[in-house]
Amino acid sequence: MTRPFRIAIVLATALMILAPVGLVIYQSFLSGPFFQPSSTFTTQAYEFVLFEEDDFREAFINSAIIAAGMTAIAVPLGCIMAFLLVRTDLPGRRLIEPLVLVPMFVSSVVLAFGFVVALGPVGIVSVWVKGIVGTIPWYLYSKTALIVIAGLTHVPHVFLYASSALRSLGSDVEEAARSSGAGPFRVALTVSLPMIMPSILYATVLVFFLGFELFGLPLVLGDPERILVLATYLYKLTNKLGTPSYDLMAVVVVSIILVTLPLVYTQRKLLAAANRYVAVKGKASAQKPLAIGAWRWPAVGLIVVWLGFTVVIPVSALVLRSFLSTWGEGVAIWPNLTLNHFRELMGYPNLVRGIVNTLLIASVGGALSVGFYALVNLALHRWRSRWTALMDYLVLVPRAMPGLIAGLAMFWLFLFTPVLQPLRQTLFSLWLAYTLVWLAYGMRLVSASLLQIGPELEEAGRVVGARPAQVSRDVTLPLIKAGLIGSWVLIFVTFVREYSTGVYLLSPGTEVIGSLLVSLWGTGAVDLVTALSTVNLVLILVGLALMFALGNKRHA
Amino acid sequence: MKMRLAASFAVLLAAAPVALAQTVPQGYPASYAEVIAAAEKEGALSIYATADASEVSELLTQFRALYPKLKVEYADQNSTELYSRYVAEAAAGKTADFIWSSAMDLQIKLVNDGYALTYASPEKGALPDWANWKDQAYGTTAEPIVFAYNSRIVPEAEVPRSHADFAKLISQKKDVYKGKVTSYDPERSGVGFLYITQDVQISPQTTWDTVKAMGQAGAKFYTSTGAMIERVVSGEHTLAYNMIGSYVLQRNHKDPTLAYVLPKDYTQVMSRIAFVSAKAKNPNAAKLFLDFLLSKTGQVELAKKAMTSVRTDLQDSHGITSLPGAREVTLRPIRVGPELLTQLDQITRLRFIKQWQKTLAAN
Repeated sequence: MTRPFRIAIVLATALMILAPVGLVIYQSFLSGPFFQPSSTFTTQAYEFVLFEEDDFREAFINSAIIAAGMTAIAVPLGCIMAFLLVRTDLPGRRLIEPLVLVPMFVSSVVLAFGFVVALGPVGIVSVWVKGIVGTIPWYLYSKTALIVIAGLTHVPHVFLYASSALRSLGSDVEEAARSSGAGPFRVALTVSLPMIMPSILYATVLVFFLGFELFGLPLVLGDPERILVLATYLYKLTNKLGTPSYDLMAVVVVSIILVTLPLVYTQRKLLAAANRYVAVKGKASAQKPLAIGAWRWPAVGLIVVWLGFTVVIPVSALVLRSFLSTWGEGVAIWPNLTLNHFRELMGYPNLVRGIVNTLLIASVGGALSVGFYALVNLALHRWRSRWTALMDYLVLVPRAMPGLIAGLAMFWLFLFTPVLQPLRQTLFSLWLAYTLVWLAYGMRLVSASLLQIGPELEEAGRVVGARPAQVSRDVTLPLIKAGLIGSWVLIFVTFVREYSTGVYLLSPGTEVIGSLLVSLWGTGAVDLVTALSTVNLVLILVGLALMFALGNKRHA
Repeated sequence: MKMRLAASFAVLLAAAPVALAQTVPQGYPASYAEVIAAAEKEGALSIYATADASEVSELLTQFRALYPKLKVEYADQNSTELYSRYVAEAAAGKTADFIWSSAMDLQIKLVNDGYALTYASPEKGALPDWANWKDQAYGTTAEPIVFAYNSRIVPEAEVPRSHADFAKLISQKKDVYKGKVTSYDPERSGVGFLYITQDVQISPQTTWDTVKAMGQAGAKFYTSTGAMIERVVSGEHTLAYNMIGSYVLQRNHKDPTLAYVLPKDYTQVMSRIAFVSAKAKNPNAAKLFLDFLLSKTGQVELAKKAMTSVRTDLQDSHGITSLPGAREVTLRPIRVGPELLTQLDQITRLRFIKQWQKTLAAN
């Protein structure tokens, strides 16, 4: 790619990010909604949030603790699992690998509700344990439980980045370490994982950040004990003051944006230091799984326990609930089984349209998003420039807005920008918002596969006289095709379960399942929520199975 | 013979304009034909509402059958989102024609801020006087605020029948109700705030006693109706204070584990407030929908989905009084009017919340 083209893409992306973010920052300095002429410039929103609101401080501290705690759980576990499943001869790893991703498939409100049904004070598992031990040894609505659950459910995010990086490593260094007498875990800790430090660092920053804007889990699990985090605090702010106060919400978002800056700065510093001794090898040599001998079964045990807690328990409780007319302590399951909730769901207006729209935005929209992420990545690929540094900072910023606020900001943009107005009530606005909110996540998915290509291949292209654009098209892109398809699958899953971002952008005709879930949850129709979630889960599983089948056929 | 011919002619003549437009509903002035004609010329209607699309699908089907020339769009969302969306869209100049929400205070604020069209519905004679403000805001339902309980766990004899009973029960049976009582969190839920402040206006002493007792009983306070109902059904909680009747009734039809009682001393009545948007592109179509919503047909349809009727002539068949045990109850409707604006005053709100927290913590 040529320099002007690269700069053009960076500028376009920056505009896309800064338009909604800038609007929110502008709103934070106004006395009322920006679209009302009576609003004036003031810093009173900052004064109120920072000095008069104890809740803000509490929510901020809680968010920081939860983010740190879940990072401390998710990162090591994710790395260990990636090492075990990618680099070792662990039994059943082909089968286990897709299962590791399941917590990412279920929207967090619904997953949290699954935990309530299973492990809540009268949950199905709780009651069973109580019958044996006499008491329930845990309390689901505590901060600790929230941290543990958030940590365990974010293991897949770390796993994804770590495993794709590990796949591109040659096994020669590991074998060298092994033959000089190091045990498998020594190899992992001193050889394999340090080699993929950039990916791990990126995953760490991303997970910490996802922790900061965590919404679904604290909404459900933090509700009874009124544990506030920043995203739920935004809700509270509205109700406490009676009417939505956009200026105050904007201040909260600005405070989250301010957290991103030192994070990205630290990440860049660490990476610069790490790059000095990490040799990313161009040609991946043949990979041989590392024999871990007697460690095999404890390793399988670890993964099974994690899977059981994070996937099997909440998901099966949720699915079970969708077939129950009533439940609770002392209620037998068999006599209360019913198909009524599904029958009722069938009669739900716009259901089919919602499903079709969801599949459309996830498959076609997801592909377009991956295309966009790839384009931006190619623009930055092997480019030593300040522009790339700028992008490092910018990419994470949209995620600083909790989904609901990001959606609101995009809604305002589409409403008040004449060029965009006709597109507001189409799926395009929804797609753009999704693409933006998941920018940091998607960019890294694509760049992970870009990093695997040795520079010598592209240089070879240039030597035979290809122009930069030709190199991108004929050498780089074909090489990362498999990586792009993998990214597409993950973006598909992410878009299917997304819910809060779309709330303001929906209009009759552009409903998606996520929004139907939110509106049903709001009216208390838990029966339908669980039934719809079950349907949603089945859709995702079928989609994934199809894609894996297609993928395998191609490789065969 | 001549007479008969003349008579048929007269009928024909009278029917002529009707054949062009839709039939004027019975009892409406003849001039209503103009509203219908204008609405059909507009050809479309856009509704923003908080009632779930599945709850109103039958209602909309009937409305469409009545006025097939109107293309009706219905968007459901939660009350805060509805407010934010409407205010922004109105500023941009293009928004929905008809706004229908259960957040009474936010609706009254919109009406007070000049967002509503003045329109005297031909149905307004059938409404109680608390359900109409300036012919702009209309209360379209009358739904009781109830105590809900788990009928599997709470013995019938123990169920509190009045507000005083409620406080007495949970303070006397502390061991049984420890952690088992639930209600909306007035700090985090707009409707929760509205109902508890109404309680304080009606009966301050009992209400603060109840709050104090809930504090001692370690009550849990929620933001989501669904989460609360679900937890009462499962037995995680057993007794819920100030629940919106329609949600409880709906669930009760499907699962009798969730039972309810209308407190005898007084039962608050909430209403979903509707208005025709002053910025409506299709004001006449919106008027038709308002009238239909308030008509007997519309009200019966809403009552089928547990949104009990506001009409005085349907009270005993489809209103609150049609519910079991509701006849001897004193109803206290929340007036559709400017009184609700005081709810939104920030100082009053923060002060009330402080007092609520203090009382809750007092032991």
